[in-house]
Amino acid sequence: MSNWTDGMRRLAWTVAGLAAAVAPHAQHLQRWVTATAVAVCLWRLLAEHRGWPLPGKLVRGTVALCATLAVAAGYHALTGLDAGTALLVLMASLKLLETRSPRDHMVLVFIGWFLCLATLLYRQDLVAAAWVLPAVWLLAASLLNVSRRASGGERLRPFRFTGAMLLKAVPLALVLFMFFPRLAGSVWGVPSDEKSYTGLSEELSPGDISELTLNDTVAFRVRFDGPPPPPRERYWRGPVMTEFDGFTWTRTRARAYFRPPVRFLGDPVSYTVTLEPTSQRMLFALDMVADWPRSMAEQGWDYRLWTPQSISTVVQYRARSFTRYVAGEELLAGYRNHHLRLPEGRNPRAVELARRMRQAEPSDESYVEAVLAMFREQEFYYTLTPPRLERDSVDDFLFNTRRGFCGHFASAFTTLMRAAGIPARVVGGYQGGDWNPLGGYLIVRQSHAHAWSEIWLPERGWSRVDPTAAVAPERVETGLQAALPESDLVPGRLLRRSDFLWQAGLAWDNVNALWNEWVVKFSGEQQERLLERLGFEAPDWKQLALLMGVGLTAAFLALTTWFAWEFRPRRADAAARSYRRFTVLLSRRGIERAPHEAPRDFLERVRRQRPDVARQAAAITDLYLALRYAPGATRGDLDRLRGLVRAFRP
Amino acid sequence: MLAHIRSRTHRWIRRRQGPDRGPVRLRRGRIYILPTGLGLAFGIMLFAMLMGSLNYGNNLGLALTFLLTALALVAMHACHRNLDGIAIASAGTDPPFAGQPAGFALNLRNESIAARIDIEACRERREADATVSLPPDSDAKVQVQMPTARRGRVHLRRFEVATRFPFGLFRAWAVLHPDTECLVYPRPAADAPPPPRAATGEDGASGRGEDDFSGLKNYHPGDPPRRIAWKAHARGGELLVKEFAGADESTLVFDLESAPGADLEAKLSVMARWVVEAHANGQPFGVRLPGTEVDTGLGDAQRRLCLDALARYGLTEEPDVELD
Repeated sequence: MSNWTDGMRRLAWTVAGLAAAVAPHAQHLQRWVTATAVAVCLWRLLAEHRGWPLPGKLVRGTVALCATLAVAAGYHALTGLDAGTALLVLMASLKLLETRSPRDHMVLVFIGWFLCLATLLYRQDLVAAAWVLPAVWLLAASLLNVSRRASGGERLRPFRFTGAMLLKAVPLALVLFMFFPRLAGSVWGVPSDEKSYTGLSEELSPGDISELTLNDTVAFRVRFDGPPPPPRERYWRGPVMTEFDGFTWTRTRARAYFRPPVRFLGDPVSYTVTLEPTSQRMLFALDMVADWPRSMAEQGWDYRLWTPQSISTVVQYRARSFTRYVAGEELLAGYRNHHLRLPEGRNPRAVELARRMRQAEPSDESYVEAVLAMFREQEFYYTLTPPRLERDSVDDFLFNTRRGFCGHFASAFTTLMRAAGIPARVVGGYQGGDWNPLGGYLIVRQSHAHAWSEIWLPERGWSRVDPTAAVAPERVETGLQAALPESDLVPGRLLRRSDFLWQAGLAWDNVNALWNEWVVKFSGEQQERLLERLGFEAPDWKQLALLMGVGLTAAFLALTTWFAWEFRPRRADAAARSYRRFTVLLSRRGIERAPHEAPRDFLERVRRQRPDVARQAAAITDLYLALRYAPGATRGDLDRLRGLVRAFRP
Repeated sequence: MLAHIRSRTHRWIRRRQGPDRGPVRLRRGRIYILPTGLGLAFGIMLFAMLMGSLNYGNNLGLALTFLLTALALVAMHACHRNLDGIAIASAGTDPPFAGQPAGFALNLRNESIAARIDIEACRERREADATVSLPPDSDAKVQVQMPTARRGRVHLRRFEVATRFPFGLFRAWAVLHPDTECLVYPRPAADAPPPPRAATGEDGASGRGEDDFSGLKNYHPGDPPRRIAWKAHARGGELLVKEFAGADESTLVFDLESAPGADLEAKLSVMARWVVEAHANGQPFGVRLPGTEVDTGLGDAQRRLCLDALARYGLTEEPDVELD
């Protein structure tokens, strides 16, 4: 490494910093972008090593134009997060082709920092932050490296030095982060990004949810104010689907319905939800939600919560729900018909079955019981890997395969209800959750995705019926892992079986939850709570500014002190300090030692001006010179010198 | 406009600091700091990052922005601290011939246990004349250069010690007003006639010249380097000087009266050339000017004495060469 040229060393630093900044983008960039960037970096390093000439202006211009066109073709846009990032990565690698002067390196470092910001716009979890930090560090080290001027002299370790600077910057950054006023909304419209997350969708086909169940990532976390509701009441309402084409359930496009009023019973449950980004326009709440931030979402006629924009970052909201309620005691005719509609000529055997069963049962309740009993008593199996279904999915499921996941049961049950004249619909959402005793909150994962039915009964209104519970009651009571046969591959089953791994997983999730709450979602509200804890009542922006000023001043004072200590002068040795004391004593009597005056010359002057102290002065000077220059001076000599100076009274 | 502001600033700094006599220890009160072009660009980048993060309501983006902001603030502090406490003293001058830059040596002392990195010294806020790094508890010499046009004196009335370390985002600088002067020798005439024979003084008694090798003698400082017997030295001996017998080696005393030239400056130029050549040839030489005379002698000290006399000749007390 020591035989690297300065140019190579600089280039290596910058390429390393850029690579660290680009790496996290590799997973969402189109392949060719990453490939181009890597190829250009390697070529540039080789060119530096071999001394090849860099391409001329014409070549660079052509390549830049081609890259822009390629991005426009590949992403169908030049703005937006995806296309912008791709463009930034390509431009950085092309800039590398003309990198000679320090200024070029500096431009690259700035681009690298922007790419770091882009990473954080994509994801805000701990891992992303942990990855971005070293990239920022490397880039700063690269900047330090190219801004150096003197080639010789003090050798500096850029990475180490920059690390020390970053450490010193942390308190200042913390003050800025805590007290910088947060905006309630966005300055200008946030462009909707086209990025998709795995999660519940707004339609349900057989097999949809079982795919989702393989995904163990966190959908949202819930912190309850009081004790959490029992597992069988943890139904988190998501999309409500009323339209059926015989195979797939979708939500209705009709919006004109009014929301039937809800009568709440019993005690409410209050809680805070921290929702991971979904790129969809809904919030999840425990059935039945009574209060939620009205500024964030409105409630639809089917009681789900709609947001005006899709959720692209972590959001946090408080809500209050009642697990006992009567929703929609009255049902309007049009509304009723909507929930009875079945596709013409589809699933004929199921419709026929419903008609037969209905004739045998006098009341709606007993009919529902009969259908659930059929699921429970006949050979129906709950499995994650059901066989593929034909076009008439309900018929195929009820009469042929009889193996299904929650979606199959909900779909079949709802169809049977509608065919028998009971208004019904399919509700998607999450059921259950893992309790994290370390953090005292509930983790709801994608694998908790669930589908159930809602039927309307006179006087009881919209009631939840979960046909899955009839087949596999463990699903609702304990969770997926217990409900499924051993042969099914369930995520987290291994994890849940090993107590240690399960505990470690919970601890890690707890860290993530705290990260979300205190860093990612540190909002104006939390800022307010923090200030209130610091003793400010109803803090406004003036107090915020004042606190920021005080905090910054304190941090700066600490910094100044630290720097003063770092740059402290070297402490003179004991002999020099004693001799200095001697000269100070004399200077008080008007005999000043000039900077150029050697101790013996000074002694001569003292002899002339103060013959009375000449003897002591001579002894002190001799001892000092002996301690300084003579070999074999002892500790005793030093003590004698100290004694002499202490006794010296000119 | 910019030049106007700059000269106003210069005058303001000069007024508030006063002249500097003797060594100066840089203190907070005389260190100025401003962002560089790169620093301004960095600021613009931070603002863009801030706006982006606020707009997306992205707290981690804000955290990154604030970390970089804090890094810049720490860098500003470090940049200022890098100068604070450095002691600066004049360390002599290196007189040039007119037309060459005059060098003013400075001694920078770092007493702290931390290194001072990339300290620049310059006359104006331009490219640095010299950049050094000072390890803990150490000294370093740098030179500030000033162009010259004519013989006489140049005065260093103002120079800056500056640093952009670390990152080059800020430039901290201190202004010093030392008033050090440096002599400027007359530019040796390009085609000077050989010194007139009449000007040669008494013929050399030893008669040593360059025709016939007559032996070796011990080296004394002042002996011309081209007469050193390098081969003998390489064989491991001490430094010896070859002596030649034959041609006369006269003692040259150059007189202003006898120097050719249109005016005084031209004559001094010719004399400067003679001095330089005589010194290079290892001949004893001296100069005679109205009111001043330098006795003949040999070596570098003699050359300096003679050139000093030529540079000073006819100068009034008030410096007449003003280039600052």
